[in-house]
Amino acid sequence: MNLEKENKFAKQINETFHSAVVKVQRERRIIVELRSDLIPPFLSFAKEYLSFIHMAHYSCVDWLEENKFELVFMLWSYEEDVMLIVKTKIDREKPEFVTIKHLWPQAETYEREIHEMYGVDFKGNDRLGEFILEDWDDLPPMRRDFDTVKYAGEHYFTRPGREDAQDVRETIARHSGEEIPDFAKKYSIRRDEE
Amino acid sequence: MAVDLKGILSPFSALKQGVKPPHTVRFPREKKETAERYRGLHFNDLEECIGCGSCATICQNEAIDMIKIEGFETKDGDSGLRPRVDNGRCCWCALCVDVCPTGSLSLTKDYIYVTDDPNAFLWTPGVDNPDGKEKISFTSEEGKPLLDYQRIPMRELEGMERVKSFAEVVLGYDEEEARKEAARCVGCGICTEVCPVHMHIPEYIFAIGRGEDEAAIKIIYDNNPLGETCGKVCTRRCETVCAISKRGEPVAIRWLKRYATERANNADLIEEIVNPEILPPNGHSVGIIGAGPSGLTAAYYLSLRGFDVTIYEAKDKPGGMIMYGIPKYRLPLESIEKQVGYMQKMGVKIKYNTAVGKDITFNEIKEKHEAVLIGIGFEKPYELGINGEDAEGSIQAINFLRMVNSERPVDIGDKVVVVGGGNVAIDAARVSRRLGAEVTILYRRRVEDMPADWEEIEGAEDEGVVIHPQAIPLEILTDENNHVKAIKYANAEMIPDPNGGRPRPKIIEGDEHIIEVTAVIAAIGQGADYSFIPEDIMEKIETKRGRIVVNEKQQTSVPWIFASGDIANFRADAISAIADGYRAVKGIEELLLKKEK
Repeated sequence: MNLEKENKFAKQINETFHSAVVKVQRERRIIVELRSDLIPPFLSFAKEYLSFIHMAHYSCVDWLEENKFELVFMLWSYEEDVMLIVKTKIDREKPEFVTIKHLWPQAETYEREIHEMYGVDFKGNDRLGEFILEDWDDLPPMRRDFDTVKYAGEHYFTRPGREDAQDVRETIARHSGEEIPDFAKKYSIRRDEE
Repeated sequence: MAVDLKGILSPFSALKQGVKPPHTVRFPREKKETAERYRGLHFNDLEECIGCGSCATICQNEAIDMIKIEGFETKDGDSGLRPRVDNGRCCWCALCVDVCPTGSLSLTKDYIYVTDDPNAFLWTPGVDNPDGKEKISFTSEEGKPLLDYQRIPMRELEGMERVKSFAEVVLGYDEEEARKEAARCVGCGICTEVCPVHMHIPEYIFAIGRGEDEAAIKIIYDNNPLGETCGKVCTRRCETVCAISKRGEPVAIRWLKRYATERANNADLIEEIVNPEILPPNGHSVGIIGAGPSGLTAAYYLSLRGFDVTIYEAKDKPGGMIMYGIPKYRLPLESIEKQVGYMQKMGVKIKYNTAVGKDITFNEIKEKHEAVLIGIGFEKPYELGINGEDAEGSIQAINFLRMVNSERPVDIGDKVVVVGGGNVAIDAARVSRRLGAEVTILYRRRVEDMPADWEEIEGAEDEGVVIHPQAIPLEILTDENNHVKAIKYANAEMIPDPNGGRPRPKIIEGDEHIIEVTAVIAAIGQGADYSFIPEDIMEKIETKRGRIVVNEKQQTSVPWIFASGDIANFRADAISAIADGYRAVKGIEELLLKKEK
């Protein structure tokens, strides 16, 4: 496996951004983790100096346990055929970031989506209104603490003909004659309610 | 008149397109292949599926129901239910496929379904598309499962370190390991079906996973007062049917039970945590013969239900086979004493050194109690039936284990042969190693035919026990003092059974060998000794192949006599004995309390 061009990029990145954690994952794929305040200059650097002129994707990951959101940018270099994945973590309590639409106009649409699905506020993007969801007044639905099952149960009726559904645990207990005491029953619930 | 040349020629300019590849689709239409990992309609391999319901649990749209379908019954290792998808709700996220422990559920290339019925959204994968197997496209990749197929490894003493003492080999999970291991459970409960006691396994594992160890202990004690014993030595049929075991290592149910029960490290603490409801005395009295696992279990639950219970035990310690038959490196003495100590606090009375038929007669017990439970176990070992068996240095394995466990001196010398392939044989071999002997096991069939647990067999090999399969002992040779000197055996070949049974060993003529030994330990099985029961009563008790015949509540053909443990079931393990004891409680309760009405 020849990683010459990937390693060259990694070196260039490290020389300019000392705090960047760069990993050549495989051929044609580099992953960079970076402090969030360095992202705008870094993206600009990647676009103008390293030939990553195409922003292919822009997304968000919810790290609930760490109380962080992770913004993920996927950039492509047509000159070298390399994908650069840029990741940064931002605070989950008050999720704020700056728009990058001045670098790639299509980022505006991605930011609108991330705003609606995760609740991240992008300073400088003035089109963060309603996007796909209509009249949404609940938690942003892609957040992991949003209870999709509960929402589906409350908003959609159960189709007729589903009344014959059985509970697996109860079926087995009934068949074997196991008597599950009341104090144990709350531990039979397979979905953690909390 | 001028000719409009341009007007004539321009239609022909379209001809230049004739040499370029067309942008339109070809006629007749060629069907394009869907993408490699296309997520179309569900398919379920109904035979592979065990109905664990993980798909229904994970579905974020509540689109999946578990339903009864024709041809599948609830049985060991299968809930008998199969998933049905509401395609009106499904969003094809395929979490159900990713989570499926058996890998039976997948998505197909099919995405077109035409019907006249506008309500036909309910789709039973595998039933509605029996040919779906050929069209599978999206499967759960084995390398990237949502489930954790690797068990948290159990820390153990190293093999050659173990043989130096009787210290417990298994070290147990610490808190972090237990929480992680518990988190692997999908909570289906299929394990409870095969557990003879039907313990509430998913419930206590879920409690452990949530960090609520006390709740787990309470749940375990609901139908098993010897949970800690089972946590250490259970034959754990539960783990053989674990949903995770279909593609990975089963959840370590036994070790998790051990973790939880060991949290309560003394009898007072057990009492404080379990805090069971004890009914006021109901005036009925029950006598139990034998303080083995079945007798103890029955005694404990009968006491909680207000019965006056006395156990008559011939030996000076409780536990029966778990005390005397299981080596201390698997089940330490303190553990049994703690568990029995708790039962005594709950009102169980045990009379030690009281052999029925010798120190007290069966009729006296009959006079004192309204019902009697016999749980005497198999204490009478089978003989090898070869010459020299009665020589000095030829011992029966259970006598040997009992002597070692009661710390009585046993002289086996430094070269021992154990005959047999069950857990008792392995135990005797491993104990002999700890007493400093070189050990060879002679077993008549192949290693894979050995009835002992594979972990035990491996453990013995790790500790340097030599296993010699397909070897049939012929004679024990003795010296002038009638002491064992050597054992003569013949190698055997396996003859397939024409009736489809397991292959039988047949001696290879002339292939005889002699091993010099200082002791021979026989472990080829045991039977029960019913001689303490008066003949007139024994006549009325129905027996079959040495075991007492009982109904589903452990009642014998004599209504006031119940039987439990090895003498009443064919499984001959602690958990089955506990199950018998638990069932006998119901039988005795019904008999005595109904009589009152």
